[in-house]
Amino acid sequence: MASLSTDVLVIGGGATGTGVAWDAALRGFDVVLVDRADLAEGTSGRFHGLLHSGGRYAVKDPRAAEECIAENRILRRITPDSIEDVGGFFVTTPWDDPAYADRFAQGCRDTGIDCEEIDPAQALREEPLLNPNVSRVFRVPDGNIDVWKTIWSMARGIQARGGRVLPYHAVVGIHRDGDTVTGARLRGAATGEEIDVEARVTVNASGAWAGSVADMAGIEGVRVRPGRGIMIAMNHRLVNTCVNRCQMPTDGDIIVPIRTVCVIGTTDVHTEDPDDHTVLETEVDAMLDDGEKLVPGFRQARALRVWTGVRPLFEDAKAEDADTRDVTRAHAMLDHAERDGVQGFVTITGGKLTTFRLMAQDTMTAVCKHLGDERPCTTKTEPLPGSESGETYHLGERLSRKEARLADDQLICECEMVPRWRLEEAVQRRATTNLDDIRRLLRLGMGPCQGGFCIYRATGILHSLDGLTAEQADGSLLHFLEERWKGVWPVLYGDQLRQARLDDWIFQGVLDVAHLPSSEREPVATP
Amino acid sequence: MHYDAVVIGAGTAGLVAGARLAEGGARVCVLAKGVGSTHLAPATIDVLGYTPARVSSPAAVFDEFAASRPDHPYALLGVDAVGEAVRWFLGSVAAGPLPEYRYVGDLERNILLPTAVGALRPSALVPSTMAAGDAATGERVCVVGTRSLRDFHASLCAANLRRAGIDARSVDVEIELDRADANTLGLARRFDDPAWRAGFAARLALKLRAHESVGLPAMLGLRDPHGAWSDVQRRLGRPVFEIPTLPPSVPGMRLFEILRATLRRAGGRLVVGAEVVSADRSGSRIVSVATAAAGHDARYGAPWFVLASGGFGSGAIELDSHWDTRDRVLGLPLRGLPEPGEPRFVGDYLAEQPMARVGVAVDSSLVAEGADNVVVAGAALPGAVPWREGSGEGIALASGSYAARLVLARSGAPAGAAA
Amino acid sequence: MSEVGGVLEELMRGSLDHCVKCTICETQCPVSNVTPLFPGPKYAGPQAERYRVLGEPSVDSSVDYCSGCGICSMSCPQGVKIAEINSQARNRLKQQKGIPLRDRIITRPTWLGRAGTPVAPVANFTLGFRPLRVLGEKTLGVHRDGAAPKFAGRRFSRWARGRTSPPTGRRVVYFHGCGTEYYEPWEGEKVVQILEHNGFEVVVPKQDCCGLPLQSSGLFDDARKVVTALARALVPYVRNEPDTIIVGNATSCTLMLKREAREILSLEDDPDLKLVSERTYDICELLLELHDRGELKTDFKPVDEHIAYHAPCQQQGHWIGKPALELFALIPGLEVSEMNARCCGIAGTYGLKAEKYDIAMAVGADLFAQVRESGANEVACDSETCRWQITHATGVGSVHPIDYLHRAYGL
Repeated sequence: MASLSTDVLVIGGGATGTGVAWDAALRGFDVVLVDRADLAEGTSGRFHGLLHSGGRYAVKDPRAAEECIAENRILRRITPDSIEDVGGFFVTTPWDDPAYADRFAQGCRDTGIDCEEIDPAQALREEPLLNPNVSRVFRVPDGNIDVWKTIWSMARGIQARGGRVLPYHAVVGIHRDGDTVTGARLRGAATGEEIDVEARVTVNASGAWAGSVADMAGIEGVRVRPGRGIMIAMNHRLVNTCVNRCQMPTDGDIIVPIRTVCVIGTTDVHTEDPDDHTVLETEVDAMLDDGEKLVPGFRQARALRVWTGVRPLFEDAKAEDADTRDVTRAHAMLDHAERDGVQGFVTITGGKLTTFRLMAQDTMTAVCKHLGDERPCTTKTEPLPGSESGETYHLGERLSRKEARLADDQLICECEMVPRWRLEEAVQRRATTNLDDIRRLLRLGMGPCQGGFCIYRATGILHSLDGLTAEQADGSLLHFLEERWKGVWPVLYGDQLRQARLDDWIFQGVLDVAHLPSSEREPVATP
Repeated sequence: MHYDAVVIGAGTAGLVAGARLAEGGARVCVLAKGVGSTHLAPATIDVLGYTPARVSSPAAVFDEFAASRPDHPYALLGVDAVGEAVRWFLGSVAAGPLPEYRYVGDLERNILLPTAVGALRPSALVPSTMAAGDAATGERVCVVGTRSLRDFHASLCAANLRRAGIDARSVDVEIELDRADANTLGLARRFDDPAWRAGFAARLALKLRAHESVGLPAMLGLRDPHGAWSDVQRRLGRPVFEIPTLPPSVPGMRLFEILRATLRRAGGRLVVGAEVVSADRSGSRIVSVATAAAGHDARYGAPWFVLASGGFGSGAIELDSHWDTRDRVLGLPLRGLPEPGEPRFVGDYLAEQPMARVGVAVDSSLVAEGADNVVVAGAALPGAVPWREGSGEGIALASGSYAARLVLARSGAPAGAAA
Repeated sequence: MSEVGGVLEELMRGSLDHCVKCTICETQCPVSNVTPLFPGPKYAGPQAERYRVLGEPSVDSSVDYCSGCGICSMSCPQGVKIAEINSQARNRLKQQKGIPLRDRIITRPTWLGRAGTPVAPVANFTLGFRPLRVLGEKTLGVHRDGAAPKFAGRRFSRWARGRTSPPTGRRVVYFHGCGTEYYEPWEGEKVVQILEHNGFEVVVPKQDCCGLPLQSSGLFDDARKVVTALARALVPYVRNEPDTIIVGNATSCTLMLKREAREILSLEDDPDLKLVSERTYDICELLLELHDRGELKTDFKPVDEHIAYHAPCQQQGHWIGKPALELFALIPGLEVSEMNARCCGIAGTYGLKAEKYDIAMAVGADLFAQVRESGANEVACDSETCRWQITHATGVGSVHPIDYLHRAYGL
């Protein structure tokens, strides 16, 4: 059995866990970061990409709001490369209580959120598709954040400082020696090989799964209630600003422009299982109706795909089953030495992506106590790798890069403008030929054609790089089609149905993937 | 403008219907929203490939298939209609604008051709430029690709052919182009140039072995594909065949040119950019349709209409965000919709989807249920799942031909030119 | 067009949602098929548009190589307004990069016309004098060989003002365009004579440019001023006359009025322009419709000629097919070879520009070869700039299709 030894073992490769490992590495600790799947495959990778200004919580949860705006400013300094400064509007629609607007403005003032009321006519000049009947509009410093870029930047930084990043390694047991947690046992997904990790402190940063990981450590009562919500990506940016309903947080009250799409979200359905990815037709209908309120004609626009994210809601007291949204969105850092008398184990859960750095900082404060080694936190000022220039992201970047190399760059995914060299480099760098991982990383196949053209190209290239056998290549292609379809069919109507039909013709007609040697062999009809 | 018949749609079915109506003496206009689906399909004539078992002889299993699928267009058309349409098609290709370009094959035996990913796909008729790829030949195969063409990947194709028991390998040739994002059309233009072809063949020949047939992506010329293909074949001294790949489909563009020329030669008109946006009715008949032209709509009136507008893919049939479905062209009733409350789609991508067989409802003579003077042809018909069955072109040829025959028979002598 | 409507349906940008990446537009684009400088309509239109943000700098200057021929929009089976999206993107690009002096001059045929007409012999000499053309290329960027027309030395409107149309009570408004006014007034005379022969009373209002060259070069504000002025000039004649239509022989200019001004310049809400656009007809379109109703005089004498017919891309952009061909079929003795080419390359003023001339000639190469191979003595073509380009490239003379009707009528 292989074994590792480290100062800090972080379980969970979402924003929080990676943030803890980054903070630890910056403080000079040895760190191992593990995730049962790829980094950012949990909640972090499944939300709409909003960089909160905090306006959403200005009235309801002022503490959360203050944290948000403080972290918003910090993140813009340390990871501008992942952030697009799209700005945000809070708008009072005919469906919103007009009285809330003043409470909102006051709440922003009280919590230090820059908030400027603007003339709705001005808002409509900036956003021509916005509902012309909005009565009040407030401008706030919302932005969007590319969570994969952020997380992978930190991962590179961790590795550069000698830390180890191990995706696809699930925790199958947590070691306890009396009242001390001493580490964990991992199982690698690729080979099934098990690894023992000896760690001075183990951090449970597994978000919505934190309860089950704490159970493995024999710690009771860590209850995380998963709140499942859907998000729908629309084919193009109907708005270039984050548009929020000016009211108490509720379903479908935000549209976030992120990369080439805009995302409407979200719903809130209690579930027992953090791996529950059910999408209900009622949820889809509700999101489309909510979209119409902010952008009239929303239902004629093209929906690309739908997915679910599960919020980790830490329960401090009894909560009602129906609406988990009322459970606090502030994060919960549980120092199990104080809470349960167990040394060497800390849980961080709850919270929202915008405050991940703060959550990591709080966690490391406890970790340092467990280690008996106080070292200062520098994450507030240390830029993430790739963000040294201080420039924020602009949507035109991929287009601009292609224009600079118009005759040289062969685009593999045209919708998302992914050139061949990027695909080949991603394969070399990450030593993976898993199309799913590459897709997430490069956004390959995530545009309007949903892989209709690029997936055959990418599979062919991966195969020719000697990375895959034909069987693996075929399996990868078929797996992509199945996975993609799961997110497509619940919102399949209109233009996207036309696309799906063309894709059917390409895959099942021209390429006939259903009759690849990998698929079930069909008997020949007699005679 | 008034005609004897107006065809809506310029895919294979629409062009066939228009051409055969014109050949029958009718004054016909084909209205096309844009350029048709021919440009996207491999241009093989697929009559019946999977039932879902792979079919080796369409003629042998046709009747049984039709009997098991009473709503399928084949059940209404019959195998003789398909045979007649195929014979007409072969004649039209021979008389067409591409010198010596021919299709080979018949309904007795499906030809098994490699796809760009290396699966084997059954087709009844194929262009002669593809025929040497028939898996039944048992030849050794060398699949040729080039890095300059991102739409074709020879190594994956060959590797999958090997898994199917074919002795296949792959080579890559260098082709220098002025752009990185070339497609088969750009390359096809080069193959139309004899000097360029000679250079290519010389370079490729160096990489080939003594006895193997050569599979290239489908790019062997647009103007004179037979000339290009036979020239390359002669220079290489080995059988050469084209492998259809991602759109744009060069063989599909050739097919479009052949059908358009057939239509024009017979005196038919084709108007591109003419999307039907409304129809005038009188009782149970369509009197005229209006197309979205610049400034003011253009009107086309006729005693008969052929609706060859396609299904969901062309947007002619639409499912909206309220989950309502409609025929956007003439507003005719549809058939094959799932019951309210029943799922529209299922989570297994490769399973047959509940919405797959939706089409414009027709009676047993393919006349639309909503309008007495509208005949439906092609992908607009209900009851078929052509991309799974391998039946698209068979349905298009047969139903397009049938529609023309019906209209000519019921019109009597054509009305002749107005005034 | 969906009956549900809504703000999104109206916007050209919103039409990008219909794109299924099928590549059909790329197969049809005459420019991207001859030069890699233009990556193609799918790329420049619905694909790049997803990366464009109102207010941010333009990053794709390749869109400037789009010639605006509109064949992509016509060929798109899904209804994406590709050429219109490109046009709007080019406008933004030009606003940011600045508009060269050349593009301010060659886009104003009215100025050029008024300046050149009184001194036509000198002006024509200058335009034909190679050393001056070379100088023009170096200073302004107008290619030395670009197909520039000759000034006629007289204005069509002068001829029109000097006569009255016989009052038949059946009025038609004639929009002649700058080409007829300054360069080919005889075409205008023929149009009037044909209309009068068919019983129309022809009204020629005072009128100016349609603004298309300004729009094509990305000067949208100027184009808007010019086209709305034209709409105001024409609308009084049709406003309360439900049976009166406007007819023109310049297919690019009538297309501008019918559709492009409203869509590309976002002038959908101008009521005068809306009314004018609904009432505007191309001359061949009108004559064929008369024929369909049995109202066209068909007293044609034989015209024993072999001609070639090329439908300009901006005639095809009317989306009415090719009415000229059906009119030709009525003339005994006339042998017509229909050219099967997409674009002659001039695309208005595109082919005059130094950096685009070679591309334009490559675009038109297929057409020019077909013209020569056909053995035709003359080329019929509905747009004046195309006629000048075809003659420039092939040496074969070119006239408007109605010339043959005029001849056949014996007018």
